[in-house]
This record gives sequence, structure tokens and C-alpha cells, in this order.
Amino acid sequence: MSTTSSTGVASKKAYVLAILFILFFWQVAAWFLPDFLMPDVHVALGRLWQELGSGEFYQGLGNSMGRLGAGYGAALVAGVVLGLVGGTLNAVRSTLKAAIIILQSIPSIAWVPLFLILMGFGNLPIIVVVAVGAFFPTALSVMNATESVERVHIDAARVMGASRAQMLKRVYFPAVTPELITGAQLAFGNAWRALISAEMIVGFSAGLGKSLAYSGEIADMTGVMTNILVIAVLAAVIDQVLLERVKHRLLRYQYL
Amino acid sequence: MQLHFERVAKSFGDLQVIETFDDTIADGEIVALVGPSGCGKSTLLHMVAGLQQASAGEVRADGQPVSHPAPERTLVFQEHALYPWMTLEANVALALEFQDQPAREARKQASEWLARVKLDGFEGYYPHQVSGGMRQRCALARAFIARPKVLLLDEPFGALDALTRMTLQSVLRDLIEEERPTVVLVTHDVDEALYLADRVLVFSQRPARVLESFTLGHIPKTHDLTAFADIRREVLTLLGIDTDTPSAEPRRVERGETA
Repeated sequence: MSTTSSTGVASKKAYVLAILFILFFWQVAAWFLPDFLMPDVHVALGRLWQELGSGEFYQGLGNSMGRLGAGYGAALVAGVVLGLVGGTLNAVRSTLKAAIIILQSIPSIAWVPLFLILMGFGNLPIIVVVAVGAFFPTALSVMNATESVERVHIDAARVMGASRAQMLKRVYFPAVTPELITGAQLAFGNAWRALISAEMIVGFSAGLGKSLAYSGEIADMTGVMTNILVIAVLAAVIDQVLLERVKHRLLRYQYL
Repeated sequence: MQLHFERVAKSFGDLQVIETFDDTIADGEIVALVGPSGCGKSTLLHMVAGLQQASAGEVRADGQPVSHPAPERTLVFQEHALYPWMTLEANVALALEFQDQPAREARKQASEWLARVKLDGFEGYYPHQVSGGMRQRCALARAFIARPKVLLLDEPFGALDALTRMTLQSVLRDLIEEERPTVVLVTHDVDEALYLADRVLVFSQRPARVLESFTLGHIPKTHDLTAFADIRREVLTLLGIDTDTPSAEPRRVERGETA
């Protein structure tokens, strides 16, 4: 227990140092470049403060989070189901896995033109791109973990008379949870990148990506840096705070 | 529940594991299978559990061919069969929950069974937090809670140290006396077989067949097995262990003497 808490403190310290380091480099660049190319850190922070007081910012934030939630959530559910079912079906497992590995290598953003024409201009193509980005790592990690569930754990459940549904819920699902969480964190990174880039390209209604693209178009570098700042902070908060909490909660037994 | 084996044989591809096995195990009888490792004893046990099928012949339980696992024929594994993500109590309760008993009732019975194997107070612990001996106590509780008619034990105490093993053998013996299931025990430990079983079957190297059967009868026993010294010597000789008494008598160290 002492080791986990001490590494926790160490990584928090490392995080603070890393943030200071990044801001320092930004500020150094700002000193050397003219203001219209690279704003000072405090100028961007001032803009952020201003934005936080405006309704427009929250509308964009809400839209983006809605798309992320829908796409990422759907991908997690679908990935777990496909991973568990695929992992237990010996006949299709290796083919399915090969298909996932091939499809995974396509950058999610490459699907945008297809989905845009298929589904029309709107929220849906963005959500689907996010889902595609998050689905493959989730499904793959769950499938790999399902394959390597210990034989004795399966046999013990069979001997106790578990039905197929009980077996999936009480044995396979908890057994794959540690790998699922790792996969879900990887999937979050993909989903986040897909969301911002899809919003930048599609530009449908307000959103973090659209706001960034717009600032670029009107050469408002303070706006660009402010948006990048928001995107970075949000990703770190969701991944390091939210997902880590979920992880500790679901894997509580491992931390005892 | 009576178990009947009729010309049971098992091969994995070209590898013949069990040559042939014929036997009838009476209801409530305790039979130990001993033999060299990898000789197919565990395979035999898995066939009774319904986890594996015979390549030829048939295993019958009370006259019915065994085709799939059922809670009335339960199996205790060597180790690591408890679920690490569940507390000891949840692990034991699971055996009842898989038979669609309400969770509350299952929990209640589980805590009673944990008390019967002297694990009261440890209901909320996870398997990795307790010792190997305690884990196997819990595994016994999980097996007995479903009131099986056949109890199959696959080297249940193989991973434990000698003293813990003896303690658990006594725990198991008491549970068997109280519940009276038919028992088939696979073990490497000849003393364990003699202590627990009414009948001991000695198997050959792979492909396995029965070399000899020793009937001890269902009699009260303690860990002092001197009464079975002759059978013990015979079993060990069959297994290829040297049991010839050396010509020179070993010098006896008197009590109090410092060697």
C-alpha cells in the first residue's frame, strides 16, 4: 500500500513539473516571436478566463462532450461485447483479430469523407468517427484477455453449474476487467484525437475542434493557443482523474 | 451416488493416456488414485466431472452416462481456482448463486460454511490476502456448500507445506464424515491416500492402468499410519520407490542427547 501511494505522489510531482516545463517552453517561444504569431502564456490564460465567463464556450464544450460520450460510450459497450463473444468463439477468433488489427491501422480521421456523405452533415458522422477510433483498441484488449482467462477459472464455474450467461457475467467479465481498463484508456486517447480532428474538418455547430479551426482561419493565435490549452487540460483531467478513479474502483481488490 | 467405469480409455491424438479402466465405486466410498505424475489420474477425474469425455468406454453416475458437468459432481482443484476478484464469502456463495439461489440466502449459507472450515472472520478477505492453506479451506467450503453427491479432489493439498497439509486432511476427513459424499481423490501423497481413503488404486506409468487395488475399509484413522506400514511399503514399491530396509540399524538418538 505504501508503494502505490508513494508512486502516486511521485507521479503527481512529475505532472506538475511537466506542466511547468511545457509552459516555460511556450513562454520562451513567445519572447522570441512577435505577439501576433505566439501570444504570451498570461495573455492566453486571460483569454481563457474571459471565455469561461461566456455562454458560447460552454455550448461548444457541451457539444464536444456529448459527442465524445456518445461515441466513446457506444464503442466501449460494443468493444466489450464483441471482445467477449469473439474471444470465446475459437472458430472465428483469429480471423476477427486479424480484421481488427488491419482496420485499426486506418487513422479514424480517414473515415470522415465516407461517413460525411453516408450520414450527411451533422453530429452523427463525428460521433461515428469517435466510436470507430475507440472501438478497435477496446475490442482487441478484451478479446486478448478473454483468450487468456485461466482454464481452471472456467472449469470451476462449469463444475459449479454456471450457465453461459452467468459464466460471461461472473467469470469472463471480471477476469478481463484489468485489460479492459488499459484498453479503454488507450481508446480514450484515440477517441479524443478523432473528436477534435473530426470537429475541425466537419465544422458542424459549436465544438472545441471547430473553435480551434476558426481561430486559425482568422489568424487569431491567442485563440488557437487558448483552444489547445483547453483540449490538453480536458484530456489530462479525463484520463488521469476520471478514468484512474474508475480503474481504482473496479480493481479495488488488487490494491488491498 | 455410485460411479461405474466401463472399459474407459482416453487418448489425446496419438498419445494414449489411459489404456483401460474398469471399476465400480460404491455410494459413499472414498477411493484414492495414486500414480506417477502425468499418468492420467487427473484426466479420469475430469471425465467424472464431465469436463472431458472418454475416447472409448463410458463413465456412469447412478447408471446415467456422464456427458456434462453438474453441481452434484463437484471438483476441488489443486490451487488458484478461487476467483481473485471476489471475497472468500462471495467465492463460496457463488456455488449457490450459479444454481439460481437468491444472493442473500447464498451469502448467509456461505458465511456458515466458512465458519465450518474455521474461516469465520475472514469473509471479507480476498484470496491473495490469505495463506494457501486458508485458500484451500475456502475451496473445500465452496465444494461442500452445494451438497455434492460426488466429491472429486485433484491433488487438493499438493501446493501446501507438510503440516498445513495434515491439518487440512483432518478438516476434509471431518467434512466427509458429516456429509458422506462419494469421494475420488487424486494424490501423489501415499500417506494422504492411506489416511483418507477406504480403497487405494495404484496406477502405472502412461498409458495408465491399475497395477493394484488395496482395500483398507472405512475405519477410523489418525495421522499415525503405522498400522498401514505394510500397505504403504507395497504401494511405494509399486511406484518404484526404494523401501528395502538397510542391513545396518540406524542409530537411535536418545531424547535429550544433542546428536
